[in-house]
Amino acid sequence: MVDITLRVNGATCTGSPEARKTLADFLRDDLNLTGTHVGCEHGVCGACTVIVDGRAVRSCLMLAVQAADSEVTTIEGLAPDGGLGTVQQAMWDSHSFQCGFCTPGFVMQAVAFLSDHPDAGEQQIREALSGNICRCTGYQSIIDGVLLAAERSRKR
Amino acid sequence: MAGIAAERYTGASIKRSEDPRILTGAGRYVDDIKLPGMLHAAFVRSPLAHARVLSVDVSAARALPGVVAALTGAELEAMTVPGPDPLMALIGGAGPTPEFTLLATDKVRFMGDPVAIVIAESRYVAEDGCELVDAEYDDLPPVTNAAFALDPGSPPLFANLGDNIARPRSRSEFGDVSGTFADADSVVHFHIDVHRHQNVPMEGRGCVASYDASLGVMTVYAATQSVHVSRIAVATRLGIEHDKVRVLADDIGGSFGLKIGASREELAVAAASRLVGQPVKWVEDRSENLTASGQAREESFDVRAAVSNDGDLLGLDVKMVIDTGSYPGMGTMVPAIMEAMLPGPYKLAALGFESTAVITNKASYVAYRGPWASETFVRERVLDLIAKDLGLDPVEIRLRNVAPRTDPPALMITGRPLVGVTSKESLERVAQLVDFPAFRRRQAEARAQGRYLGIGVATFIEAAPGPRSPEGPSGPMGMEFMRLRLEENGIVALFTGQMPHGQSHQTTLAQIAADEFGVPFEQVRIVVGDTDVVPFGLTGGSRSATMTGGVALHGARQLKAKVLDFAAHLMEASAQDLLITDGNVWVRGDPASAIAVSEVARRAASGQFGADVDAKLEVEATFDGGEGGWSGGTHCAIVEVDVETGIVKVERYVAAEDCGALINPAVVEGQIRGGVAQGIGAVLLERSAYGEDGSFQSATFMDYLMPTACDVPRIEIEHLETVPLDADVNFRGVGEGGMIVAPPTVVNAIEDALSPFGVRIYEQHLPPARILELIAAADSGQ
Repeated sequence: MVDITLRVNGATCTGSPEARKTLADFLRDDLNLTGTHVGCEHGVCGACTVIVDGRAVRSCLMLAVQAADSEVTTIEGLAPDGGLGTVQQAMWDSHSFQCGFCTPGFVMQAVAFLSDHPDAGEQQIREALSGNICRCTGYQSIIDGVLLAAERSRKR
Repeated sequence: MAGIAAERYTGASIKRSEDPRILTGAGRYVDDIKLPGMLHAAFVRSPLAHARVLSVDVSAARALPGVVAALTGAELEAMTVPGPDPLMALIGGAGPTPEFTLLATDKVRFMGDPVAIVIAESRYVAEDGCELVDAEYDDLPPVTNAAFALDPGSPPLFANLGDNIARPRSRSEFGDVSGTFADADSVVHFHIDVHRHQNVPMEGRGCVASYDASLGVMTVYAATQSVHVSRIAVATRLGIEHDKVRVLADDIGGSFGLKIGASREELAVAAASRLVGQPVKWVEDRSENLTASGQAREESFDVRAAVSNDGDLLGLDVKMVIDTGSYPGMGTMVPAIMEAMLPGPYKLAALGFESTAVITNKASYVAYRGPWASETFVRERVLDLIAKDLGLDPVEIRLRNVAPRTDPPALMITGRPLVGVTSKESLERVAQLVDFPAFRRRQAEARAQGRYLGIGVATFIEAAPGPRSPEGPSGPMGMEFMRLRLEENGIVALFTGQMPHGQSHQTTLAQIAADEFGVPFEQVRIVVGDTDVVPFGLTGGSRSATMTGGVALHGARQLKAKVLDFAAHLMEASAQDLLITDGNVWVRGDPASAIAVSEVARRAASGQFGADVDAKLEVEATFDGGEGGWSGGTHCAIVEVDVETGIVKVERYVAAEDCGALINPAVVEGQIRGGVAQGIGAVLLERSAYGEDGSFQSATFMDYLMPTACDVPRIEIEHLETVPLDADVNFRGVGEGGMIVAPPTVVNAIEDALSPFGVRIYEQHLPPARILELIAAADSGQ
């Protein structure tokens, strides 16, 4: 067990995970933040994507102890008031998802990408999201949601 | 109407009511369930494809701190009831059904076959325990392909069968097969292969089983397409009375046919929970999902086609072999569906169909979105191959062969009426949308520059639900049930056996019921996923649009009539004079009389009325599918093949589809696009690969390649809503069509692109290396 302190969704958290415990399992099991989903556990599908110190990270490939003293944002932290953030709202409006299992990863990836690339066009967005797998939608509705979010953000 | 809203939800792309929870991480999937005292399971799996199990020693695992139990197949067998595949037991598979144990005991039959289960305080420790299980095997020769399985000398996987035939060869003939072939201008012969690939939902299989010994009740939190089918399996294999098993399900992360009932592993987890007296969770990891959850397709077809010189496809004679993998189930049922569907919308005069299902040392065959899809692949490939020989355009040969819409409708040579089928319309619409002459000009220009573009079309029909049988009283898909209740707070609650896992039923069924009953969309609640309260049902086979949409419509109508009867007492009016709109009951012509539906419900619940009043505002509705009908359409792909790298890019994809009346166009389009993406993946990327020794070679996402946002193009969709058949219910299923028709569409386009090389394609899996081989073989004149 290793004692760690980190900030998750704006709150300070402490924990004592085993050294081998992934950040994804720590978030889900120890902090009960089950919005982060585990889809492949080998870093390919992107379902477990969270934002660590401003960067999109696969929480299945990062150990919890490596996140010590970091600032972590999960899907639960995007709109703490119980509403929807810009990306989430645009994805709702665009019918982006079906089963919803890949959703948190896509949302977090899109949030991180748009914050760095607010003017991204469709091809750039497709490439940026090509590390996330969705089995239900054929991606078009997701891409449309990110494009809509980008457009709304620019208008603000 | 005095300011009372009368807009219709049905037919509009209403935003999904599922999404607020899904988009915020508040969805509840099976792995999110945490019960007090919950333990975790992991499985020890066979590293060999085919071997006798000599010994399984779990003692070291049991000694590991944190491990609560470790069970061998034999130990588990002693606590459960033997039997065939639970799904087959329910719906009756054809042919002999070998009985098998939940975990392997005497032998292992595929790489990944579970041989022991370890229960521990965490998944980490459970996997540590698995490492300590010592299993010894004696290798047997693996049966890794259908040809060897057909050899009577191949070692039988199941001793009680004596061979590796899951379903013996059978032959049917429709029409005058020998006469049709004798009279044809020519008979062409092809061998067509479809490769093994698989569902791969983003959430794998999993469950939490919790046995309460004092009550004798087993509760299973499942990821399943049917809580009732899962319950049947748990009750049967664990020897518990059905009413003492409760299966619950919440959000499910996709399935595509994989999660129809309870798997062997899930049943083992339930048995383990009963043994240890604590809840046990198992959620498979991706490697288990790819290796052991099940796989689909892998069928081969020996095809003879009788053809006229004008391009009429007169007859087909097909010999099919299906590789059902190691534990036969669904794979034994698929050939019969393929036989019935093979003629498609075309006016074949004769069909011969022969099929054999074999058992091999691979993961078991499971249903995967359009399980019979290969019949469409074969037929649409054959049409293109014939068109090439005769110099016909792909749209032209299809229009020539498609059965005209007549009254009475033409019959498929296999029997079913092609009532309301709009294949001709969809072909014509695609030809308009795509502008073939313009494409041919662009194709010629590109070829002059050494670029290879191709266009492909394919047409399909889907029995979703299928036409009403002229002779039978029951509908094409049996009965669908629903219980509907006006809750005390005015909520219209629909209890359905559908188990949505991406299909948006919470939205679409509410749209239908809200319109029919007369309440706002938000005032309808869809209740799913609890065997104690929902009727029997199954989400699968593209049945829910017609069957559940239909029962929601008729059920809401019945409930409304009952509510109006009760309201008539309250309002001292005749029920015939009452309306419900926008959540209010009112007397026709007197908007001021309106009282809220919730007030009516509250009064009904109060009990303050005479004994002659029926205040139980609840109905049990059934629906038989009404007049039924076909879904179908035509898809078209334009691809570019890089002949240096073999990489295929899908440049444009157009779908003209007819699923009757649309409940929610955005949901329909999502189903079509998702299916097409799987079809593109199946052709260009995905393959469940086995080595010659039976070792599984695609157990990670680095090996089993899934289509990404860069592989799937924008998919243009045109809706045809041509022929209403039923007075009320003309919604038809659309879940499987994309996956059924996309593979031949894309392969036809690739063959067209490579036509300057003389390439002919008789297979479905065309990754870059295979494209280069095809070009090289054609170049060398092979």
